[in-house]
Amino acid sequence: MPYSTEISRDHPTALIFVIDQSESMVEPLAGGRAKAEFVADVLNKTLYTLVTNCSKAEGVRRYFDIGVLSYFGDSVADGFGRAINGHSLICPITDVADAPLRVEERTRKADDGTGGVIEQKVKFPVWFEPKAVGRTPMRAGLTRAAEIVAEWCDTHPQSYPPTILHVTDGESTDGDPQDVADTMRQLHTADGNALLFNLHVSAQGAQEVVFAREEGGLADEYARMLFRMSSPLPPHLAGLAGDRGYSVANGARGFIFNASPQLIVDFFEIGTRPRLISADR
Amino acid sequence: MSDVPPSSGKQEAWHPQGFSAPKADGQTNEDAWQFSHKGVAALSDGASISFDSASWARILVRQYARDPCFDDAWLAAALQEFAALHDRESLSWVQQGAFDRGSFASLLGVRRWGARVEVLAIGDSIAVLCDADRVAATFPYESPEQFDQRPLLLSTNPTQNAFLAERDAKRDFTVAWDIGLLADPSVLCVSDALGHWIISHRNDEPSPIAGLRDLKTRRAFARFVAHERAAGDLRRDDTTMLACWGC
Repeated sequence: MPYSTEISRDHPTALIFVIDQSESMVEPLAGGRAKAEFVADVLNKTLYTLVTNCSKAEGVRRYFDIGVLSYFGDSVADGFGRAINGHSLICPITDVADAPLRVEERTRKADDGTGGVIEQKVKFPVWFEPKAVGRTPMRAGLTRAAEIVAEWCDTHPQSYPPTILHVTDGESTDGDPQDVADTMRQLHTADGNALLFNLHVSAQGAQEVVFAREEGGLADEYARMLFRMSSPLPPHLAGLAGDRGYSVANGARGFIFNASPQLIVDFFEIGTRPRLISADR
Repeated sequence: MSDVPPSSGKQEAWHPQGFSAPKADGQTNEDAWQFSHKGVAALSDGASISFDSASWARILVRQYARDPCFDDAWLAAALQEFAALHDRESLSWVQQGAFDRGSFASLLGVRRWGARVEVLAIGDSIAVLCDADRVAATFPYESPEQFDQRPLLLSTNPTQNAFLAERDAKRDFTVAWDIGLLADPSVLCVSDALGHWIISHRNDEPSPIAGLRDLKTRRAFARFVAHERAAGDLRRDDTTMLACWGC
């Protein structure tokens, strides 16, 4: 059965984030924050959660390899801010843990253990900076991601396949990306095809489409294209989405259109929750 | 086996045998066990992916062996003991994040009052009641499939223990067995890998209990674990057995 390999240090999986940082990402979401800022914050929190979930007192365990790509203007960049040539664009989560750009101090409310609430200082690492520049070279961004996925699948043939979370707010300006997405979804390990999930971020309070099963009801050709680019949700991820209150029909795809801030958060959480081996839970 | 009314008998001394094997050579064994000479035995299986589950498991079994009356105050005392082990503010961001998320462990406690054995089980560690080589009852799981669920575990993060308030502790986490009805009763406390193995093989001939009864030394237990892992029958996880044969 595909997507059943449990993730372990012997068989890590890959999570690749592909983020649109084109000029339109400067527009505000419902709530007022720029899309670019909000997405960067959610991505940083996701990386933080992934690292701390892999951590014990004595260190971080390598259950994931992580890649972050951004595209904007005429460029595809390493989201960790490194020069793109001369190193791999995907690295073990242990390396991610070692190299945040900075660590901020934030406060949050926490349970005091006796039913009360206290304000608690938290050290919060930042890896990914918000940016909103130029055009939308989606095809180039996804092509680079597909190259990473192909190489990773070759070197990890027994692992749970890579998951690619693509976040965008606009149409590609460097050509139709569908064939690249089709190719990427055909890349595979022994445990199944790579999973490409697409999230469209909306500045407006437009009608959300969440984990659609058919393209018939979608508003325009752009939405239908992103739907076709998206992988069906495997049963365990559909179950997670169901646990969060989403109605997920059999065959629903990892595709969200006109996402609100809460949907953006849920998309990242659901997409980055493959199963750890029982001995490591 | 049905619930039995509280016994007025005195708490009985017993002397379980305890054996444990780590999931792999050289790795920390995050199972912990303890028994008191007053008839209390406790086993805890620390979840590997959490900050310091080995210490948390040790605290839980020590406290249960000292004081088997599990309630809110009991848990608060255990949390306080764990909090004293680490200075949160001085931890790196990675450690602090993992510390805040919590450490997780099961708790299985067994005590004997005359012919009555009381079991507290939170999580996926299993108590097994045997009559000679027959498995008479298991708690809290009865089928192998139940081990595939995500278990409810005690956490050092108080918000993760909210499930305790949402459930009926007596109904969901405890059982009492009347061993006076059995000809040759024994009680085993085992962590999840061995619990899964026993329940999966409970109707086999020869009985899996007969094989476990023959394990008299740590080395023999380690050989058994290695053999069953190699055969693909025992999950690769920390594996612990506390056995009170002929109790």
